[in-house]
Amino acid sequence: MLAAFAEKQRIPFPLLSDIDSKVIRRYGILNTQIEPDDGFFYGIPFPGVYVTDGDGCVVAKFFHDTYKIRDSAELLIDAALGRVTLADDAPKAQSQSGEIKVSTVLHGGQGTLRQGIRRSIVVRFELGDDLHIYGEPVPDGMVATTVTVAGPPGLTVEQAILPPTRPLTLAGMDVTLQVWSGTVDIVVPIYPTSELASEVRPLDDESATIEIAVRYQACDSDTCLLPQSECFTITVPIDITEVPAIDVHMGHGQREGTYDGNPHFKRLIARKSKKLEDWMKTDG
Amino acid sequence: MSLNRDKFGFDAPVRLGHPIRSGLPDGQSTGPEIGDRLPDFELPNASGANIAFHADRGTAKAAVLFYRSAVW
Repeated sequence: MLAAFAEKQRIPFPLLSDIDSKVIRRYGILNTQIEPDDGFFYGIPFPGVYVTDGDGCVVAKFFHDTYKIRDSAELLIDAALGRVTLADDAPKAQSQSGEIKVSTVLHGGQGTLRQGIRRSIVVRFELGDDLHIYGEPVPDGMVATTVTVAGPPGLTVEQAILPPTRPLTLAGMDVTLQVWSGTVDIVVPIYPTSELASEVRPLDDESATIEIAVRYQACDSDTCLLPQSECFTITVPIDITEVPAIDVHMGHGQREGTYDGNPHFKRLIARKSKKLEDWMKTDG
Repeated sequence: MSLNRDKFGFDAPVRLGHPIRSGLPDGQSTGPEIGDRLPDFELPNASGANIAFHADRGTAKAAVLFYRSAVW
């Protein structure tokens, strides 16, 4: 059935069956909130993702407080590569002023928002050769780079992820500044909760407008340009959730999966029920 | 607001409080940590062939997703 599922859902990566949740248990991620007598639910993991380097060592983990939050594939790829790779056709708004280009981009998921799926707003600065911008802390009179993202009610905006700064000590001043130069990506993860996009009712709105406020000051080794405040707006489609084509999920105005899970669902319940019967017997 | 909405702000097609909707408990381990070599495993793929993770991966980077089911 994994083969049918992968084909219908056009899943290009291998799907493996963790029969009896052996690997899940060995990893220590069996969902302990579900008891063995909770029927066929028992045995599922806390969902999450490990990203490894070429040696197979974990470089990033994606686990969330609720199973409803999942990460876009693009965020996993970024973690593996150690840099943000933006799609050419991603929704964006940008400005160019002299040797400073600022792009704000919705990163991930072909440019749409979907309930619980984590994408990000990437603010990319492309700075001319001699220029730098500042991270916190900055001395009085200088402006640190800030990014503020706001959207409609129900769009959760997480804390910005900043790249590491490098120290810069100015000649003649007894102060070390924290700066970025070249191409600088500030990543702000976002996801809709059900207030904005629910999997159990039709969408109220088919698009969302995201406002991104950016403040920064660019300097070279001699002089500083005036601080800049810029606002960008990106309007993107909200996507309905593709729900499994089994009775409990359907009929909410969502897009039903192209893969009919009902026959497998029935077999799953039958198999787990048998296991449950056996387990009840052994227990007394 | 929907009565079915959980504390994280999400709706689901099963009742609130059902164990399937529980979140990650405080202090719950999420398995191997950053820097650990991912423990090897061997599991059958969609066509029934056993896949040994590290051998199959070779020297490639990988993302390993744990997901509840392809059915529901």
